[in-house]
Amino acid sequence: MGKTVLIVDDSNTMRKIVSRSLRQAGIDFDQILEAGDGQEALDVLAANKVDVVLSDINMPNMTGLEFLKAKSEDDAIKEIPVIMISTETGADIIDEAKSYGAKGAIKKPFTPDLINETLGPLL
Amino acid sequence: MEFAKKIVETTEEIFNTMIFLDVSANTPLEQGKQDLGCHVSAMIGLTGGFSAMLGIHCPEAVGLAISGAMLGIEIEEIDADVKDALGEIANMLAGGLKERFSTEDIGLELAIPTAVSGKSYTIASSAKSNRVIIPFNIEQGQFFIEMKYNLN
Repeated sequence: MGKTVLIVDDSNTMRKIVSRSLRQAGIDFDQILEAGDGQEALDVLAANKVDVVLSDINMPNMTGLEFLKAKSEDDAIKEIPVIMISTETGADIIDEAKSYGAKGAIKKPFTPDLINETLGPLL
Repeated sequence: MEFAKKIVETTEEIFNTMIFLDVSANTPLEQGKQDLGCHVSAMIGLTGGFSAMLGIHCPEAVGLAISGAMLGIEIEEIDADVKDALGEIANMLAGGLKERFSTEDIGLELAIPTAVSGKSYTIASSAKSNRVIIPFNIEQGQFFIEMKYNLN
């Protein structure tokens, strides 16, 4: 069965760029799902089998950190790996993200090679 | 604090990494009222070690070229995608400045970016604000990165 990625970002532009960067990095997913904030991401995870999540941090409604915390408290989805993709990659924020189970972080702006280096080991 | 230098470095990094358009910075504009002749702008607030509004201002043709290059498609009019793309550039600019100022122990927090478009609009802020406006050139014309800031 093919793999599925969930891209979480309030910017439609950034979701398209991440999706394009995955293809440019040579990472082929059979399905790319999208969510506009943390709550939408939780809804998508509840309804779909997702292999990995790429999530922004600074989003309205439910931030990336709030999403991670809620996900870490749900046994059904807490093991799904999450990589943060954000302008916010200071040590304090990334440490907090990792305390909720994030597996890594990619700083915007990013290159396809950086996506490959960070995401590749999880697939 | 080298605001202009940090803005130029961050802008060039974004254009070289994610937009793939050749960009060059010009001499910052003088303080005072400036009519930039732009049709679409995106702005983001920063607070912490200082308070600031960071914006990118583009004439229509330049805004279309930048957002089209980001998305890898041709865009014919200023629409939600253009404003969203410029908002992301503002967000990445703010993030890059936050990172650069953090090396000087100046902490900053970012707001959510907003964008506006129209044929004629004015962006106002406190008259006591300091202001840096840097013109940048791409093949399709000139755009501006503006930072109004108050030192705490």
